[in-house]
Amino acid sequence: MPLELLLSLVIGGIAAIAVILHLTGRSRPRVMTAAQARQAWLRQFPEHPADQLTLAENGQAALVTCDDPTAPIGLVWSFGADTVARTLQDTDATRSKHGLRLRFADFSAPQVLLHLSAAEADSWLSQIVAASATTPAPKEI
Amino acid sequence: MDHLSFPDVTQLAVPIFIAAILVEFLWIAIKGRGGRYETRDAVTSLIMGAGSVASGILLGFIAWGFFMLLWRITPLDLGASVWVIALCFVLDDLRYYWVHRFGHRIRWVWASHVNHHSSQHYNLTTALRQTWTGTFTFMMVVRAPLVLLGFHPALVLFVGGINLVYQFWIHTEAIGKMPRWFEAVMNTPSHHRAHHGRNPRYLDCNYAGVFIIWDKMFGTFVPEQESDPVDYGLVYNIASFNPLRVAFHEWVAIYRDMTQPGLTLKQRLAYAFAPPGYSHDGSRDTSETIKAKHLARTPKDLGTPGF
Repeated sequence: MPLELLLSLVIGGIAAIAVILHLTGRSRPRVMTAAQARQAWLRQFPEHPADQLTLAENGQAALVTCDDPTAPIGLVWSFGADTVARTLQDTDATRSKHGLRLRFADFSAPQVLLHLSAAEADSWLSQIVAASATTPAPKEI
Repeated sequence: MDHLSFPDVTQLAVPIFIAAILVEFLWIAIKGRGGRYETRDAVTSLIMGAGSVASGILLGFIAWGFFMLLWRITPLDLGASVWVIALCFVLDDLRYYWVHRFGHRIRWVWASHVNHHSSQHYNLTTALRQTWTGTFTFMMVVRAPLVLLGFHPALVLFVGGINLVYQFWIHTEAIGKMPRWFEAVMNTPSHHRAHHGRNPRYLDCNYAGVFIIWDKMFGTFVPEQESDPVDYGLVYNIASFNPLRVAFHEWVAIYRDMTQPGLTLKQRLAYAFAPPGYSHDGSRDTSETIKAKHLARTPKDLGTPGF
């Protein structure tokens, strides 16, 4: 197949599929209930069930504290139509225009921008900072 | 027979891939079942597919040069009759089984293959989420016996291409089970869904390309269980749609692990070549420990498929 034709097919095909998916609502982020966020956390960390869970007002993220005091504080958030979760040791958390920006020391999860109200952002930031200061060197969970 | 040429079936199949994706999406949209699509996930998969083809065009000369060197060495030439092509196809599928198994059990090879499993979706675009770094795994050596046995390198690559094209259609939730005889012999959507599962039960199973019989022969077959729906993705899911991060994240992780201070040479090498999940201090989980911990939580699963 001539390279020009192959390139046209690939670029045109990707663009067409992207437009169709977007226009049919397949770009909407996942919105979680507290129970769904708890389940999403457990899906990633089955040995560390969430003890306390704070769901963001928009349902797209939740801050998680485990019943194991040695386990670091964690975050579960919407990732497209799905979810991901990470513990928050070694995380750089800063306020941003829309809420909080968390930068991870993880090439596969470089950062997440959380859309939070000002009050939520302040509360979450203080919890994350406090947990970072008190959590002992955590075992990787 | 120095000069033999076959069509590049993966490139020829591109229009079929695009059409089939659109048909699958329409089917899901109309029926309201049979899978899920998400824009950024799908686009990432498609870009990974395009990048994989580009990588093949740019780096393919390395494998080709290696095979032609072997072809000059071997005194054998089986020709290109229909039976020879069929035999080559079957033997190459056995080759695929082992390369795929290495791809899940040797972290160096997993670093290349992991991107194929990095989507939490399972649809036809997932099939195209292919590696950009396969050349650097040196798994081309597993094809060496075929060339040395007298199969021309062009034939070996041709049947390998057919193998990959076959595997496209099995990346779907829109097809439940095929007829029993087909499920018994061939790799199917059901068998391959299990392979893409991050559930403890499905870790390291169903490595087949075309014929599922290899898994049954080598003890890695796990049938999809209605009681344990497949949860797609990685044990530790990535949180990026950036194709560069998808393509290289495990290579970066290997580099970071190997260059930690205070490790012995053996430990550094183990970070590259031991099964994924190895850690020098036992702080991470391998497939074996994940299964063991699952059984500790859920003892009733002991003795069921995958455990």
